[in-house]
Amino acid sequence: MTRLISRMLLAGSLFGGLTLAGQALAEDAINVTNLSYRTGPFAATGTPLMNGQRDYITMLNERDGGVGGAKLVYDECETGYNTEKGAECYEKTKTTSIVTQPWSTGITLQVLPKTNVDKVPILAPGYGFSPMADGKVFQWAFNPPASYWDGASMILKNISEGNLENLKGKKIVLLHLDAPYGKEPIPLLNAYAEKYGFTLLPIPVGLKEMQNQSAQWLQIRRERPDFVLMWGWGAMNAGALAEAAKTKFPMDKFVGIWWSGSDADLKTIGEAGKGYRSISWSFPVSDSKVMKDIKQLVVEAGHSMLPREEFDYVFYQRGVVISMFVVEGIKEAQAHFKTKAVNAEQLRWGLENLKLDEKRLKEIGMEGMVPPFSTSCGNHSGHSGAWMLQWDGAKFVKVSERLEADQGMIEPLVLEGAKKYAESNAPWPVNEECK
Amino acid sequence: MDLLNAIFVKPFADMVAAPDFLLQVLWEGLVAGVLYALIALGFVLIYKSSRIFNFAQGIMVVFAALTLIGFHEHGVPALLAVPLTLAVMFILAVAIERVVLRPLVNQPDIILFMATIGITLFLIGFGEIIFGGENKVMITEELLIPTGSYTFEPFGGFVSIEQKDLTAVVGAVVLVVVLLVFLNRSKMGRAIRALGDDHQAALSVGISLSTIWVLVWFIAGVIALATGIVWGARAGVSFALEVIAYKALPVLMLGGLESVSGAIIGGIAIGVLEKLFEIYWGQPLLGGNTETWFAFVLALIVLLFRPQGLFGERIIERV
Repeated sequence: MTRLISRMLLAGSLFGGLTLAGQALAEDAINVTNLSYRTGPFAATGTPLMNGQRDYITMLNERDGGVGGAKLVYDECETGYNTEKGAECYEKTKTTSIVTQPWSTGITLQVLPKTNVDKVPILAPGYGFSPMADGKVFQWAFNPPASYWDGASMILKNISEGNLENLKGKKIVLLHLDAPYGKEPIPLLNAYAEKYGFTLLPIPVGLKEMQNQSAQWLQIRRERPDFVLMWGWGAMNAGALAEAAKTKFPMDKFVGIWWSGSDADLKTIGEAGKGYRSISWSFPVSDSKVMKDIKQLVVEAGHSMLPREEFDYVFYQRGVVISMFVVEGIKEAQAHFKTKAVNAEQLRWGLENLKLDEKRLKEIGMEGMVPPFSTSCGNHSGHSGAWMLQWDGAKFVKVSERLEADQGMIEPLVLEGAKKYAESNAPWPVNEECK
Repeated sequence: MDLLNAIFVKPFADMVAAPDFLLQVLWEGLVAGVLYALIALGFVLIYKSSRIFNFAQGIMVVFAALTLIGFHEHGVPALLAVPLTLAVMFILAVAIERVVLRPLVNQPDIILFMATIGITLFLIGFGEIIFGGENKVMITEELLIPTGSYTFEPFGGFVSIEQKDLTAVVGAVVLVVVLLVFLNRSKMGRAIRALGDDHQAALSVGISLSTIWVLVWFIAGVIALATGIVWGARAGVSFALEVIAYKALPVLMLGGLESVSGAIIGGIAIGVLEKLFEIYWGQPLLGGNTETWFAFVLALIVLLFRPQGLFGERIIERV
């Protein structure tokens, strides 16, 4: 009952936040709205991430009074992971929020063409359209610290034990959500398959089949692949893991992208999921300074929507890291433009000049939670690299050193993809000289 | 020529070459079909007694399953949580009858249908406030549902049957038999059927509309709980489960909206046929994921020849 009341109060306060936002803006406040999805079929993925994002901002407001003297206003506009609702949320918030966090590749693709006109930066950490890494073409879009193509490259590097020639003659299944997100790695994986002589077999999973993937796993049984890679989201992850356990597919041959590595999904099968791996550019460090502060000032103070047992989860702490990207962008912009209330154009500059090296991560109390990286005018991703995590039956553990993507394979595809996008959306402004 | 071979020869050759795999496909299809039939049954019961197409059946599945897990999370033993959940579903049925249906008696069918969309939206919002949006683990073992598997080795291959799938099939068969006996042999069951045939005639012989509506919505709640347990045991319970209700639509088109046996046979037929089509034709020829549309195409073909569905009642209107 207490939880119900606290949820209702928090839901009310979120709603109230929208109306109070205008008031707060007048007093050197910075609005960072999140296009969240706490409802619908993908809520299982979205909720812990949104909780993490929200709690980091709340902690900064509680501990430091905001950032650089400006209070942060965290609002959410609920999309239910629905592209049409996401586009509506973008329109509704583009004048109040200094950043758009679309939280879906479909929504990102929908609003991407508008950003040059509206001059609002899109921040899509670890998702969106991989060629967005080309900052010369996508001046308003950012996908730090790594793109899906970075993820695919690192997974292949890891499963081939560092030598991609080992994949020759192998069969790799890509089990993916039948949506723009799920199809995102296919061009790069095809290029790898052609170069290194392995067979790639994409197997789509429709929205209505997420919870019953027996047909897909029967196909996997028939095809006998050497590895299954997963680009799953929401309920698809738990569905796939349950079927893999049921069909006794060896879990150590099953590897997911970072959105397919949620503790909550793995807990649905527990011990049976032992050995499953997921590439991840974030790692939970519950005794880091930032997490201790969040625990004390937000969770224990009753300001969080987080179920207590999820504090150590990968997705919750990834949400914290994501809000840190926004805040660090704001700090860079505040210092550069010598202003408290940063606007959208200034934040764009900040996000383009992120310098999250080991020293900086230590200063903000996030050592080990994200690999160091920096962005620049031409590089909007940062290509941080990532760690391979493995489920030990109860939690994810780190089982690799930091892996790095093969930019030699990725860069030509990024440039080609960005060029193609600019041509098909002509006239599209390109900042060739990066001025 | 290659295409003709891929359509008419290769699939059957594959079935003969790997009969164990074919058996596995048929079993998976049967399990899916039984689950589709369960959802369709919820729709049929309410339609039969009130001519309301209950759009809320999918969310009732989620709500029932989450309530069961919620009770257990609060320390209630699983076997006690089941009757408590049924009590909640009964209260929900009474509330729906009092607040939504009773004020809308004699309104056109479309109004009642829209009201069920309202119920859906309410239950989504209310459910998410209470339970949150996270994926929850079904309390399968606590409910004494076996979780192991049987492995057979027919034709030198292997077929694996999950005990929880077997339990789902047996449970669904028992539920359907009980339901059929109730509808055909009990006084209340006959009253439900009488209301379905003619509201005014039923009312004139003293059948209480509100009692029957509460009863059928409660039975739909019982079916929703059974469906939630068996689907949830497969891949957890989240609001994503709601979308499985859409899988029942082609079953209803195929079997007919008024027929209990139509829902069962239609569900099983669609489950088995869509699985066979996906494995032997869809994946090799169309890149897979044909399950999203196959059932609808099949239902449309049936509707071309029998607009009332395979087992639906033929509507004859005199003008």
